[in-house]
Amino acid sequence: MDYTDTILGQIEPDITQRLVTRREAIMKGAAVGSTIAAGLTMMSAPIAFAALSKEAFAQSTPSSVQGVINFALMLEIFENEFYKAVLGISSVSAQNSAFASVRASVPAAAIPAIQQIQRHETEHVAFLLAAGAVNTLNLNASSFDFTGGRGAGNGPFAQATTDVNFLLLTAQGAEDTGVRAYKGQAPNLQGSPAVLEAALRIHSVEARHASKIRRLRRMTGATTVKYSGTITGGGTSAAGAGNVSNPAAGAVTALGLIYAGEDNVTQGGLNVTTLPNLPSGIDVTAAATEAFDEPLTMAQVVAIVQPFFIPSLT
Amino acid sequence: MSDSGKSFVVSSTEQLWKASTRRNFLKLLGVGGTIVLAPGLFEACDAYTPITAPGSGGAGGAASLDLSNDIGILNYAYALEQLEAAFYTAVVASSVFGSLNAEQQEVMSDLRNHEVIHREFLKAALGSSAIGSLSFNQTAVATTLTSGPVVLKNAEAFEDLGVSAYNGAGKYLKSADYLTLAGKIVSVEARHAAAIRDIRDAAGITGGDATGTRFAGDTVVAPSGANAGLDVKLEPSAVLARVGSTGLLNTMVSIGTGPSGTATPDAGPPSPTP
Repeated sequence: MDYTDTILGQIEPDITQRLVTRREAIMKGAAVGSTIAAGLTMMSAPIAFAALSKEAFAQSTPSSVQGVINFALMLEIFENEFYKAVLGISSVSAQNSAFASVRASVPAAAIPAIQQIQRHETEHVAFLLAAGAVNTLNLNASSFDFTGGRGAGNGPFAQATTDVNFLLLTAQGAEDTGVRAYKGQAPNLQGSPAVLEAALRIHSVEARHASKIRRLRRMTGATTVKYSGTITGGGTSAAGAGNVSNPAAGAVTALGLIYAGEDNVTQGGLNVTTLPNLPSGIDVTAAATEAFDEPLTMAQVVAIVQPFFIPSLT
Repeated sequence: MSDSGKSFVVSSTEQLWKASTRRNFLKLLGVGGTIVLAPGLFEACDAYTPITAPGSGGAGGAASLDLSNDIGILNYAYALEQLEAAFYTAVVASSVFGSLNAEQQEVMSDLRNHEVIHREFLKAALGSSAIGSLSFNQTAVATTLTSGPVVLKNAEAFEDLGVSAYNGAGKYLKSADYLTLAGKIVSVEARHAAAIRDIRDAAGITGGDATGTRFAGDTVVAPSGANAGLDVKLEPSAVLARVGSTGLLNTMVSIGTGPSGTATPDAGPPSPTP
């Protein structure tokens, strides 16, 4: 059967297999999400099926290659639409106008860099779609609230629309999250070496982006951020947000999630701060945390990015 | 005078690595002499164990990598980290370091710290399976340190090559844990590469990339085609060929057994680096 011309096939090609399992579970009385229950109550199969398809990257999803690239696509669309809004080239004028005032404060020299980054995100979206990723949530430019307010427009990242230092901090957080998200999914792609390699090659581009943003921030007053573009320590301090005045509590919490665990110094069971032959007279712990980037699980990434998505990711 | 009546006996693998041995080989082959390979010579060869080079400080030796298993791939990474660590250690220790500005000094110091940590981590993780310490050609190393711009140029080449190597080798790793470890390192190498490229961009070296974009310029992140937006990658053979052409290693690092898996088309950084 060709699934591409069915509703299910258009939502997500391998949803059918999981739907069978879910249907059995539902019939046996398993709990369902409210949207799904509502759909079933209304005898509306399309709503129920669409809701089930959102689980393509939820915590309970099998770690299939399809699930991973759908998840990656979601993040790339988010990043792409963010940068388009910042640059004023979003297809939705409200997104552009949100950043209109802060846009004028972005250093002119940084614009080519942000344009290059945005172009790459567009290319990543195209690559993932060509590889078979499915936009299960039908995300578009209006699917996002870049203030982190689930659509209310007044979330803890609203400062990004008025304060260029906060804007760059937000971009840094997005890029560092992208690096950690791809890194966390790499093992789930080992069964498809070509897809794995492509994911690694996108992952390193996101790391280049992150490095450039960090360097921009260091040059504009974020004195605890390294010129090497690497991440020192973990948690909120790893964000290097010292040049941002009065960030909202929700933003500080978000930074803690974005950089959770980045201060890890145990690699492969070895404490890297006690390795022999390390240079003398250096902050070994800082260097050890910088030398390795840490993965995030899909659930951790979803928790970080959900506030910026109007539709639910779970 | 002919040497045809003489023979040269090789009775140990160590002899095969020594420069004097190679010289004798070639001399005798050239004048009709005889090479005698003693029976015990090949007992040490084991398909699953990389031949280890002698310790540093003597002749260069050789390291043959078995890339069909994860240990061989980690040794491949270890070899590259040894090279990077040696370069940055030399940079920080040399008089050229003083000619760098404060930002460049911070970056060189940090990259030295990170690459040394990578090297020591891989060495410790590999334990008795690690290849030996590579021997470097100090004359060649000195040519990489002749000025600040030359140092930065070489740093860019090393970092982009490191990204290329990890991106091209990741698919060959069988262990999920080793893949994760490689992933943790490659993104740091990419941060390094972006930083060096950005520094050179600001100094007016665009090298085919648009000004302000070198950190992830079109010469390393494909600007068009089916792989648009994807970073550099090179197969192990291509990486080692580039390493060999630098002339920096006395130790010959080669592939004894290739990786098991399907190679993909290479997309390397500019060579030579602008």
